[in-house]
Amino acid sequence: MTAILGYTGRAFLLGTHAFLAACSLIVDTLFWIVVAPLQGKGLRVRATVEQFVRVGYSSLPIVMLITFLLGAILAMQSAYQLSRFGVAYLVPNLVAVAAVRELAPLMTAILITGRSGSAFTAEIGTMKVSEEIDALEVMGLNPTKYLVVPKFIGTTLAVPLVTMVATFTMILGGFAISTAYLGQDPRVYLESSADAITMKDFVNGFTKSVFFAMVICVVGVYRGFEVEGGAEGVGKKTTSSVVTSIFLIVVLDVLFTYLFFSES
Amino acid sequence: MAQAAGNLIEVTDLVVKYGDHTVIDGMSFNVRRGETFVILGGSGSGKSTLLRNLVGLMRPYSGCIMFDGNDFTQMSDHDRLEMRKKMGMCFQGSALFGSMTVAENVAMPLLEHTKLERSTIDIMVKIKLELVGLGGFEDYMPAELSGGMRKRAGLARAMAMDPEVIFYDEPSAGLDPIVGAGLDMLILKLKQTFSLTSVVVTHELPSVELIADQVCMLDQGGVAELGTLDEVKRSSNAYVQQFFARRPSEEGDDDARYLRTLRGDVDRD
Repeated sequence: MTAILGYTGRAFLLGTHAFLAACSLIVDTLFWIVVAPLQGKGLRVRATVEQFVRVGYSSLPIVMLITFLLGAILAMQSAYQLSRFGVAYLVPNLVAVAAVRELAPLMTAILITGRSGSAFTAEIGTMKVSEEIDALEVMGLNPTKYLVVPKFIGTTLAVPLVTMVATFTMILGGFAISTAYLGQDPRVYLESSADAITMKDFVNGFTKSVFFAMVICVVGVYRGFEVEGGAEGVGKKTTSSVVTSIFLIVVLDVLFTYLFFSES
Repeated sequence: MAQAAGNLIEVTDLVVKYGDHTVIDGMSFNVRRGETFVILGGSGSGKSTLLRNLVGLMRPYSGCIMFDGNDFTQMSDHDRLEMRKKMGMCFQGSALFGSMTVAENVAMPLLEHTKLERSTIDIMVKIKLELVGLGGFEDYMPAELSGGMRKRAGLARAMAMDPEVIFYDEPSAGLDPIVGAGLDMLILKLKQTFSLTSVVVTHELPSVELIADQVCMLDQGGVAELGTLDEVKRSSNAYVQQFFARRPSEEGDDDARYLRTLRGDVDRD
């Protein structure tokens, strides 16, 4: 009994500590984005653009391919179920709504966590192990400004834009299967898709993706700074970064779905 | 606290703890301007922790570190940043940024802290690299250099802002004796040319013979002996004698000492 209480208490304290440390990292990052430029301490524009390209542009091929295939799978699966009730014409509605509200933001966030969140942890962790973070500090350069801010801005801009592309390709995947394989009229499919989506769906998907982006960056960077020891430490924290990030994204998704759609 | 003339760094009653574990227990010493101050000590003696405190990477539990007349432990982040421009640090593993070329590494502090023209910075970088014997290596990546070259490039970066003091963390560790000796000569050359103050953490005795003006021997979180190399060598302290005679401890003795240090049971000979 004492052991269980001890374990729970310890887990709670560690969790609280991690949460507060992550909050302090966010506050520090926002300071360097919002306040510091007003005091004449500029942003690292080139590094930010580099991060935007690395997180956004470079992830487009894999995100587009996977969301296209997911759209196709969704269309096939739903056509099979819906045709049993004679409502196969609802496939475009289902694919479009699922893509805009849920699947495109979630899939994009998970893919970018795997590609970039893990890379953030590995990069910062390796820099910590090789004393490069210490070197920055001794040179009088703030590691948050130097390393975190470009990643934060780059990711927060890139993820929502990639999500938009992913939404489009997912609907395209459904469109391809429905027209080529299920014999639906292309024009009807597109019209049904457009009719099914509301502005609220878009706002929901877009807002979610902005928060997902922040989670990916903050968790990736935070886990990187946590690295201790050598290469093994980098490996462990990279794994834990991806797991934590995906978990928080899903929790956040539940929260958003509740906030946006609980009353409708 | 009054700054004694000629002292660049004054450490008084420094106590450093990791949680309840005391790593440095009431350490005091002064580093004079222009001298090479060598910090000697075995594993677990607290020398790396002391260095991290001296450059401000850690805050001590109590005590004070005066740098150029200002208490480095109490100052605001802004003042600390200004102070750091007067310091350079040469890391054990060089700590060069792997994604940048050698020249970009050396240019970094200049780009961030000065408003100099890019062409001026390029010239300064060239001068610094030539100073450490790496002229012509500007466009190489750190991974393409040998261990000794990386350390010299790290030294060029530490020299970029023309600091008053350079801290060296085990400069010749992991290098062959010839390259290590080359680095010692470089430390001497910088001292003679620029009257640079150097604080060197090491346990390479030949290197100490060559470069040290003053030696501070640490043992289990305290200063075991302080003075010129000859004075320290003549010390009656058993640990100091053993260190210079390179006499091994009784089997298990060292491990027991290290375990005591890890546990925080600091004891003195």
